[in-house]
Amino acid sequence: MAKGKYLGGASRRSILQQFGAAAVGISFAGGLSACGGGGGGGPTVNFYNWDTYIGPTTLDDFKEATGTNVNMSLFATNDELFARLRAGNPGFDVIVPSNEFVTRMSQAQMLQELDHAKIPNIANLLPEFQDASFDPGRRYSMPYTWLVLGIGYNKDAMRAKGITVPDSWKYLFDDATFNQKIALLSESADLIRLSAKYLGHSVNGIPPAMLTQIEQMLIRQKPRVKQFHSDNGQDLLASGEVDIVLEYNGDIAQLMASEGGDKFDFVVPKEGTLINSDCLCIPVGAPNVDGAHAFINYLLDGEAGKKITEEILYPTPNRAARDLMPDSYKNNPVIFPSADLIAKSEYGAFEGDEKSRQYEEIFTRISAA
Amino acid sequence: MEQTWRQAKAAFAAIAVPPIAWLFLFFLVPLAVVWGYSLGENTGPVTIDVTGTFANYMRAVEPLYLEIFGKSLIVAGLTTLLCLIVGFPVALAIAFASPKTKAWLLLLIMLPFWTNLLIRTFALIAVLRENGYVNAILEWFWNNGSGVMTMVGLQPLGDFEPLTLLYNNTAVVIGLVYVHLPFMVLPLYSALDRMDRSLMEASLDLGAGHLRTIWSVVVPLAAPGIASGVLITFIPALGAYLTPDLLGGTDSQMIANVIERQFKRANDWPFGAALSFLLMYLTFIAIAVQAFVQRKSERRG
Amino acid sequence: MADQGLTSVPFLGGGKRPPKEKPGPLEYLRRWPLRVIVGATLVFLYLPLITLMVFSFNTSRRNVVWQGFTFDWYEKAFNNESLLQAFVNSLTIAFFCTVISVILGALSAVMLWRFRFPGKTVVEGSMALPIVVPEICMGVAMLVFFARVMPWPMGMPWPLNLGAITIAHISFAFPFVATVVRARLASFNRELEEAAKDLGASEWRTFWDVLVPHMQPGLIAGALLAFTLSLDDFVITFFTAGPDTITFPVKVYSMLRFSVTPEVNAASTILIVVTVILTAVGLQMQNNEPKDKKA
Repeated sequence: MAKGKYLGGASRRSILQQFGAAAVGISFAGGLSACGGGGGGGPTVNFYNWDTYIGPTTLDDFKEATGTNVNMSLFATNDELFARLRAGNPGFDVIVPSNEFVTRMSQAQMLQELDHAKIPNIANLLPEFQDASFDPGRRYSMPYTWLVLGIGYNKDAMRAKGITVPDSWKYLFDDATFNQKIALLSESADLIRLSAKYLGHSVNGIPPAMLTQIEQMLIRQKPRVKQFHSDNGQDLLASGEVDIVLEYNGDIAQLMASEGGDKFDFVVPKEGTLINSDCLCIPVGAPNVDGAHAFINYLLDGEAGKKITEEILYPTPNRAARDLMPDSYKNNPVIFPSADLIAKSEYGAFEGDEKSRQYEEIFTRISAA
Repeated sequence: MEQTWRQAKAAFAAIAVPPIAWLFLFFLVPLAVVWGYSLGENTGPVTIDVTGTFANYMRAVEPLYLEIFGKSLIVAGLTTLLCLIVGFPVALAIAFASPKTKAWLLLLIMLPFWTNLLIRTFALIAVLRENGYVNAILEWFWNNGSGVMTMVGLQPLGDFEPLTLLYNNTAVVIGLVYVHLPFMVLPLYSALDRMDRSLMEASLDLGAGHLRTIWSVVVPLAAPGIASGVLITFIPALGAYLTPDLLGGTDSQMIANVIERQFKRANDWPFGAALSFLLMYLTFIAIAVQAFVQRKSERRG
Repeated sequence: MADQGLTSVPFLGGGKRPPKEKPGPLEYLRRWPLRVIVGATLVFLYLPLITLMVFSFNTSRRNVVWQGFTFDWYEKAFNNESLLQAFVNSLTIAFFCTVISVILGALSAVMLWRFRFPGKTVVEGSMALPIVVPEICMGVAMLVFFARVMPWPMGMPWPLNLGAITIAHISFAFPFVATVVRARLASFNRELEEAAKDLGASEWRTFWDVLVPHMQPGLIAGALLAFTLSLDDFVITFFTAGPDTITFPVKVYSMLRFSVTPEVNAASTILIVVTVILTAVGLQMQNNEPKDKKA
């Protein structure tokens, strides 16, 4: 998934300038200095996170407030996180799986139930995030961020083809206009679910006949696609290898804010899209459960949430944090797609391992075709 | 001639026990668990029952997966061949260089490989992409060539069309050669270094050219090194997943990509294990046959 | 890497041949066809690396276009303690892995080369398995092994906490060493060994004074391979690493699975420069040493 491209000097700074916020003066390393050696006296929380998915001072601030060290390690995909914890928890206290994996891991009894009494900051969450379809009653997870998939594109290339905004999945999945200038995400489930969305179906409960139809459509489209990218679509777009790409809103927002980024734009297609939400969870076997609760509660604090959001610029489910952000963030159409597009969009539900295996085999067949 | 282990029991024990014990405890035991999985069934998201079923293997030999196997064999074979063609002269140059130059050359060859694979692959992308350096250099020559042609009164060349060097199977092979070259150069160097030069000198004195001498004297002497280089280049190339992932196009998936996805995305460890072990059975058989043939010919010789 | 640069170089320079002044018939490096091939190979290997180094000074975060010159990324890399920690972990693991793999690999090679014993083909085949096994499969095997069969205690002091990763690395690295050394042994003249024994040398002295010197190029090549494999391994390490045992590749993969940052380029550039300097120093020291050793 697409975390973590937000950090990093130039582009982040320019985003911040664009938003009129004060530049964050303290280096990222400062935030990590407390946890370099892992330990250093006092209790420790082992935090397993996506890269650059935290505020520059968040971990230090937490240590100052509670005396607990945070030792942060990084993973790159949900699959990795799941595979790593499958045989047993090697010592992590807080992890950040996405919605679908919250369901999968809770079903596999890999997550502990959260004690809501120890997380009073739950009150800071926006009402629509107080509960979740993928985790009824928020028994196992607290929302950290959310994000959507959409189409990143090169404006000049669109103009050359006489298209103003490529606001349909058609251009990616079922169209020859951008022959060999298309890149798709190499995630079987995302591709199949968005194809279903394009065909007018929900992203969930796709019937077998439609799966066959989707497979044929993507096989037909494949020769026109340059690459199934592993979530570096923004780089392919920036280097001119492709003109139109399936990516997360955050990645394209970052590209747009960097030098020369005004050539690019992002759109959520009119058919609607997939919403993802990354959540804070405590895995079974966590050595420091109390510390984990305290840390989760701290991350949901308004001020702490604001510092994180300023850094990573993902949509936040935290009302207290959002209220502290400038209008340039709150009204950014790339970060917050319009309400009617969100209304047409859905979470991808975890529909059992059989389903993911089936999707995987379809993707293998498409790639081999 | 080999001795039998009975002739020197103490020496044999001292030599054989450490590696065999290590291999058994820290490799074969862990691997046995996964081998068990290849004969098992998923009974839940994280539970596998070893039932002795062959269903995973039956699925692994379906045409879909066999075709991907076949394609991976071709790509890995091509990579090995190119590594051999490039690596042999390089190893020859290193082996026959002065000691000081030799140290520097070895370092120069190895240095890129101490840079992280992912970083190197991204660097290769920067060189090969449509507005990368290779195309920039070609464009410079193209435009200058065009200018020269105009000067001598010919039609100028058309506009420069950048070569598509990335996101196809050629890019995968180039990337794999880039990544696996030291696996070929090192064994070749090790076999060629300080080889008996009298045969080569004799061959040259007798009037054979350098190419002929290399072909009929050096290559046979280096044969074990070539075999070892081919083995440790071909097999890791067959198992490559990152290079096809990052440099390949939409039809460049290799068997290791499929295996990786079984262990991760599909969460189907039994099937991933079956695919992996299929690969291992094949290699095991190939190595056993080779060892058998070799021993037979040694006995004859 | 730095350690390796120093320790391996005296080996490398320890050749027996005195440098010749005039190009002899076998000095292939002085002949133009080989020079062209070696040169082209080096360009192929280094063009990407030079790009990487150049872009470590780029002000833009993206490795696409040149924006301007800066040292910021170096400052960042030096201040990133977790990156440095990961780096130290990687070098420590690679060091132990190289030493033990060379010993185990050399023993395996001698065993397979010298002895005939029942089950040899099986041992030979099993030795090849770590080379054959897909990385992810071995990663999962190690994950299950260290989680269920032989749990590595959590919270051990450094460097003992790196034990599980080091063990896993040795398991896949030493068969590579064995393959290379064995290929080298094929050119050994067994009569030398017999002669040494006839002259009354013990088994051990024969091994140490006759066989080991002959194996030396194979040992160097094997050590380089083991070091490279260990330093660059991601998949198997990922599955054996815990919260406090992050290595450089694991860190780098999580940082740039999606896109390259100049900070990582800067760290790599430092690594390359340090290696070259240490090698130069090592070679210099080698030249100043009396040359009577290891004749």
